[in-house]
Amino acid sequence: MLETVLKHRGKRPTGANPPQAANPGAPAPGKTLCVARGLAAPGLRSALALQATRAMLRLAFIGLAAMFVGRMISGNASWLLLGATLVSLILGSVVGLVADRAVANTELKVANGLLEALRRALAAALPCDIQAMPLGTLIAGLQRYPQAVADLAVGHRLASTMLGLGPLLAATVIVAVSWEAALALVVLTPVMIVFFALIGGAIRSGADAQEKAFGRLAAQFADRIRTLPTILGNHALSRERRKLAVRLDTYASGTMGVLRIAFLNAGIIDFFSSLSIAMLAVLLGLGHLKLISIPGFTDLQLWQSLFILMIAPEYFAPFRRYAEQYHAKAEGLAAATALDTLVLAAHPQSPAFEAAMVTRDLAGAASLLPRTGLVAITGPSGSGKSTLLRHLAGIGSAPSFDADFDTRPGIAWCSTDIYVPEGTLGAAIAWQNDPCCRTRLLLAAGNVGLLDDVLLPGGLDALIQAGGENLSGGQRVRIGLARALISGRAIFADEPTAKLDPGNAAMVRRALADAACSRLVLVATHDRSLALLAGTTIDLGADNRQTREKVA
Amino acid sequence: MNAAASSISAQARIGPPQEPVRNRAPWRLALVLAFAALAGGILLTGVSVWFLGAVALAGLTPAALTFNFHVPAALIRLFALTRTAAKYGERVVGHRAALTDQVRRRSTLFAAMAAAPSVRKAGWQLGNQDRLADYLDDVEDVDYARLRVSLPSATLGVAILLLVAATLWIAPLAVVPILLLITVNTVGAYFLASRADADLAAMREGRQQASRRLGAAIQAVVPLQGERRWALMLEAPFDGYANAQTRALALRHRQALFDTLANCVAPCAMLSVLVSAWLSGLRGEALLVPALLAFAWLAVGESVLGASKIVVAFAREKRARSTLAKWNTPDGVSRKHVPERISSLTLDRLPRHAPDGRLIGRPVSVTFNAGRPTVLHGASGCGKTSLLKQIAGWLDVGDGCVLSDGIGLDVDARRAISCFCPHDATVLADTVRENLFAPHASDDELWSALSSVELQDRIRAAGGLDGWITQDVLSLGEAQRLNLARAWLSNRPVVLLDEPTEHLDTEQGKRVLDALLHRLRQRIVILSSHDELTPKGTAAVRLQ
Repeated sequence: MLETVLKHRGKRPTGANPPQAANPGAPAPGKTLCVARGLAAPGLRSALALQATRAMLRLAFIGLAAMFVGRMISGNASWLLLGATLVSLILGSVVGLVADRAVANTELKVANGLLEALRRALAAALPCDIQAMPLGTLIAGLQRYPQAVADLAVGHRLASTMLGLGPLLAATVIVAVSWEAALALVVLTPVMIVFFALIGGAIRSGADAQEKAFGRLAAQFADRIRTLPTILGNHALSRERRKLAVRLDTYASGTMGVLRIAFLNAGIIDFFSSLSIAMLAVLLGLGHLKLISIPGFTDLQLWQSLFILMIAPEYFAPFRRYAEQYHAKAEGLAAATALDTLVLAAHPQSPAFEAAMVTRDLAGAASLLPRTGLVAITGPSGSGKSTLLRHLAGIGSAPSFDADFDTRPGIAWCSTDIYVPEGTLGAAIAWQNDPCCRTRLLLAAGNVGLLDDVLLPGGLDALIQAGGENLSGGQRVRIGLARALISGRAIFADEPTAKLDPGNAAMVRRALADAACSRLVLVATHDRSLALLAGTTIDLGADNRQTREKVA
Repeated sequence: MNAAASSISAQARIGPPQEPVRNRAPWRLALVLAFAALAGGILLTGVSVWFLGAVALAGLTPAALTFNFHVPAALIRLFALTRTAAKYGERVVGHRAALTDQVRRRSTLFAAMAAAPSVRKAGWQLGNQDRLADYLDDVEDVDYARLRVSLPSATLGVAILLLVAATLWIAPLAVVPILLLITVNTVGAYFLASRADADLAAMREGRQQASRRLGAAIQAVVPLQGERRWALMLEAPFDGYANAQTRALALRHRQALFDTLANCVAPCAMLSVLVSAWLSGLRGEALLVPALLAFAWLAVGESVLGASKIVVAFAREKRARSTLAKWNTPDGVSRKHVPERISSLTLDRLPRHAPDGRLIGRPVSVTFNAGRPTVLHGASGCGKTSLLKQIAGWLDVGDGCVLSDGIGLDVDARRAISCFCPHDATVLADTVRENLFAPHASDDELWSALSSVELQDRIRAAGGLDGWITQDVLSLGEAQRLNLARAWLSNRPVVLLDEPTEHLDTEQGKRVLDALLHRLRQRIVILSSHDELTPKGTAAVRLQ
């Protein structure tokens, strides 16, 4: 029966490659973005309403201020108008504050929602997929990407909506005074958009060209910092330093080339905004002097022409805000793609059919295991000892991560990669065990030779650094074993004696054999002496792929 | 306690981080252009309003026919063009200046980091992608500080000062509310800066702690899934990330409040000027100049948008500078004469230290001879790597206990004579040729080095000696063999190999190592191995 299990296991890639290609129903690109958009939707509407209100109040303030000034210069200062101006200013500020907070809150919701989705994806992922993820990139990404995606889904989205709404509002307000002036502004817009399109294309091709020419030099500084010890070890510091300076310089001048074009974007908006003020001011002035007669620009009151002049820049403001979001868009898209490939899409469900077969077979295999006693899985390296151990422990079988349905008895795992918390040796052994007295800790630690380890002095109070950095593989295995001894659960041990010196190895073998009197102890090992102690041996020998079960 | 005291004294000794020579001229130009852009904006609005007011008043009288509108109209166009052109120029010149600074600062920083003692300690912390990302954030915060903080705040400060002076002259009453508002904003900026400082520190600390936990959990994914604690273990780090996000939200709320305050200054100043001018009895034409000033205030308000970003960038720069200052140790690189050959290297009662300074085992006394490679054996954790690092001068303990041909060697001398191949050596994002660190070797030599480590086919496929390689394109085994090729090409008299056959399969490891030892047969070679690897003709030393 175990043979069937192994045959099925053999089909699954166990190496570093997650089975991406095997999954035809892989989520469409942009899963992260879809999740983010879904999370943003509820907050987005109210944030948009607030922003629109703020824009209207801002227009009201500017319009009222223009009226107040115009009337005042014409000779009658209206205090009522001043009051209204102040009220619109204060209201606008308050609504603006509320809008900013709403945007921030929505972005937080999106970012935290994404984190939650990532946590769930990670919790359900298979160990081989998780180990295949680039750890540093994953962690750096979790710190930065959710916020970047949230910026894209909320901030950029709002800016692009306001790009449609803001100019429209401004034009509408101007219509109230002179529809001809509003028309002039609206007519300018397509011209500006043509410029936008032209420059956008130039930026893109410039960036592509730069990527082609200098893409390799993009992260040279980071790379040289990362590889600093290697550079020092090979006495290459001065050469690398000179090279770095030259490359940074080359890259900087390439970047400048792209920026020069990219800034034209903002320059165009500035140009149109400045030009519109200048043109309107001159036209309106000529109208006042009655030197020209263009309908809509003549026979206006001073406050009316001031009104047009002051509202006109607001017509262009949303364009500028949108252009400023260009960076946010690029960053957000990159972050979303990175999260897609890192976590959300990297673990397609293992083919359901095979998973079900494996689970059923494993259930059978697991029922063959005795309740107590030492069972050894042996075989040459590469024959799948560890894989079998993992699957007997239920790791990676599809439905096992739903804690509610998980009724299998708990096990204690023992290997070189166990989790060791920062603190003392005593705390590391007691971790996740029921509270127990110091005597039991001492006994367990003594049984595996941790108390008189010259490389870890201090007994139970020996200090353990974050991530167990100061521990050797052998020490970690023995901490895991001490923990397992106290837990009273079945022990699953992966090569428990491989990294130990002969004295400690003997001690560990004895401890495992003792524990096997009262519970199941399953070891995957190539240690002959340990296998000889076992009551049952599952031999995965390469020459005969048959499973021999020797019952003593 | 001791460590804290010593780190303080170290900082005191180092003093302020040395800045590279600045390129002042472009910054000066950027500042001038920034002023020109702001002045253009202010005058464009102000003069337009003045012009409209003047022509409107003139239009009511016969003076309309004699009104010289050419000059103001031309001025308005001039200001419009000035504003556009200067703004573009400011951006381009400012970014170029920042990039030039960046290039200089980064290459200085690189040298400073190379001199930092922790580079040679166990586990290079910036080898971690997440630490490296934090570090790069800091570097960038400093790189762009002038562009994001100094330039805008200088421009804005001068503009506000000038306008306050003008207000004092034209409408003195209005100065009272304006100064009041500015004071409130200054206090607000001060508070925002100090809170931002605390928030940023807490966010970084929280994220780093969460990342450490997540990293530890991912390393232990198999045992944790076996014990069904995996999902549980993920909760703490993700809560940490979420808490950091919440902290960031609090900062953004404060920023929003400050922005609201800052955005009120200009409109309030505008209204104050007008009202105070009206109250002091100015009417008609006499109101035109106050109107110009009032709208100038309004134009300045446009530049105040995003004031909180300047304040936060300031706080970030301060933090980043203090973080980076840690790396700024005096450059202690001294050129040592490297002897061509050393016939023996003696350790004389060398006390063995772990990277954290703890003593390991008994002092070791042993002599290594050229022509007879020595293998260090011992269980993992017994300090093989640390001993190699002591010999290589990467751990600066044991002065006087390492002798070459009877002469004691200090740290610098040990570094100079040895080629140290750490087991976790990295691949530079560069060409194969540069990755071999042998600038004076011929192509033939490079190829024979590559073929002796059985990489020639792989490298030929990757584009030959001038093909570009990165860490990701080579597997662990390939990277390790590249590392051995570097040792093959090294001309140092002492070669130290840490776990040379790690990540290689047994047969290949044996072949490659034999070839390498044959090449280095004249030199002193010391290698460490956790399995019982003992190539022919080697001596073995077992560490306890």
